[in-house]
Amino acid sequence: MDEKKIFLVDRDKEFLYVELFQYLNKINCLPRYIYSKDINTIFYNIVGSLIYDIPIVLLDSDFSHNEIQNLGISLTKIDENIELKNKILVNYENFLSLLQNTKEWNITLFTSGTTGLPKKVSHSFETLTRMVKINISTKDNIWGFAYNPSHIAGLQVFFQAILNLNTIVNLFEQSRSHIFDMIEKYSVTNISATPTFFRLLLPSKKHFNSVVKITSGGEKFDTTLINHLRTTFPQAKLLNVYASTEAGTIFGSKNDVFEIREDIKDKVKIINNELLIHKELLGHSDSLKVVDGWYFTGDIVEVISNNPLKFKFVSRKNEMINVGGYKVNPIEIEELLNKHPNIVMSRVYSKKNSVLGNILLADIQRVNDITEKDIQMYLRKYLQEFKIPRIINFVEKIELTRTGKIKRA
Amino acid sequence: MELNKLLNIVNIILDKKNKPVLNEINIKMDLRNDIGFDSLDLAELTVRIENEFGVDVFEDGIVSTIGEIIEKIKQNG
Repeated sequence: MDEKKIFLVDRDKEFLYVELFQYLNKINCLPRYIYSKDINTIFYNIVGSLIYDIPIVLLDSDFSHNEIQNLGISLTKIDENIELKNKILVNYENFLSLLQNTKEWNITLFTSGTTGLPKKVSHSFETLTRMVKINISTKDNIWGFAYNPSHIAGLQVFFQAILNLNTIVNLFEQSRSHIFDMIEKYSVTNISATPTFFRLLLPSKKHFNSVVKITSGGEKFDTTLINHLRTTFPQAKLLNVYASTEAGTIFGSKNDVFEIREDIKDKVKIINNELLIHKELLGHSDSLKVVDGWYFTGDIVEVISNNPLKFKFVSRKNEMINVGGYKVNPIEIEELLNKHPNIVMSRVYSKKNSVLGNILLADIQRVNDITEKDIQMYLRKYLQEFKIPRIINFVEKIELTRTGKIKRA
Repeated sequence: MELNKLLNIVNIILDKKNKPVLNEINIKMDLRNDIGFDSLDLAELTVRIENEFGVDVFEDGIVSTIGEIIEKIKQNG
């Protein structure tokens, strides 16, 4: 193994695999919660938790203290450390087998729930790495890392990379010019990102021949974007994936038709056009609705063929809104808005947007003078930025359906 | 004319995030690097420009500068 092999590049800093091992050999405690903006801290702690086989909880770095308390986590606990008793010596020879030898380890993530409260999902090493490929063609991959590192898609890229001892180049929330510079400088071969990431990057007159595979998912891929991708990354194969926080990545497709692989065909079925996934493919969560072993995804599909099963995604059954790859539950925001003394009622909804796929809007019925800015500043105290409606319309009245629900159509 | 309306829109977005508003903008300014917009701001910008000028400036992919926005508005206007 190359002693100079880079594990992670973040801005102008390079972290070598040997430096990761040195860190692992030096530590005597690990955090119970990972709550950091720093990708290097996040990855080092995940690796540490795997080596020492300790379950860990991953929090979004932009969660407000309020949001954390709503998850049922006491603020005094987020700085807690776990002492490591038996030291483990890590080196190139034992690193990968140590990573894969976990028994107790799991990682807990939070995702917007359908009831307004965030949903807690814990993944074992097995569910997270089910789609990881390790072979001769993956061992020299260089990953452009473009997801939030505390979300499932980011974790899956992380595992794909680290189990192959690949280099990870951080492209998440970087400027366009920096992203292009990094792809060029490190000859990035693989990029996995949301369509929004690519929409904000392209078109560009540049070409990058080093990129051989592009994976995307979470939102619809439009033809304009596909054409831009083909121009800028002419050598890249495009792959569309279906993934969720509950299940991780389950299937991929070269276009918008998904075909179910032979080995999991008994674990996927469709009832009334809704996609059902067997619980064996899922992470563990108490708030998941599982009926007779099946999880109702809320994703509505159109069946193309039954044997083998092929389908297209059509829409979502519930109200979740996808803002640039992040799921937002409008009910969570409405509940908060309705608590404001100057707001009678609110309706949060989305509008198609060429940057983010969807943008959040709100109609508000107010009693006293309150401005768009006041409302956004109020929400900012409680919510992550992507959950804040960007355009607020003041209306005379919010229309309700006959059952007293807010009209959403 | 367009530049003034655009300045207004940019300032609405900046002000709502409690960021200092701009006295003027010029066609060379970069939306991200000079004005400091993130992807959420850019999404809001498209909606506000579309409401004002009837043009989705990001429809064919990202534009980077104020000048490119003006160009799109003129092309479609």
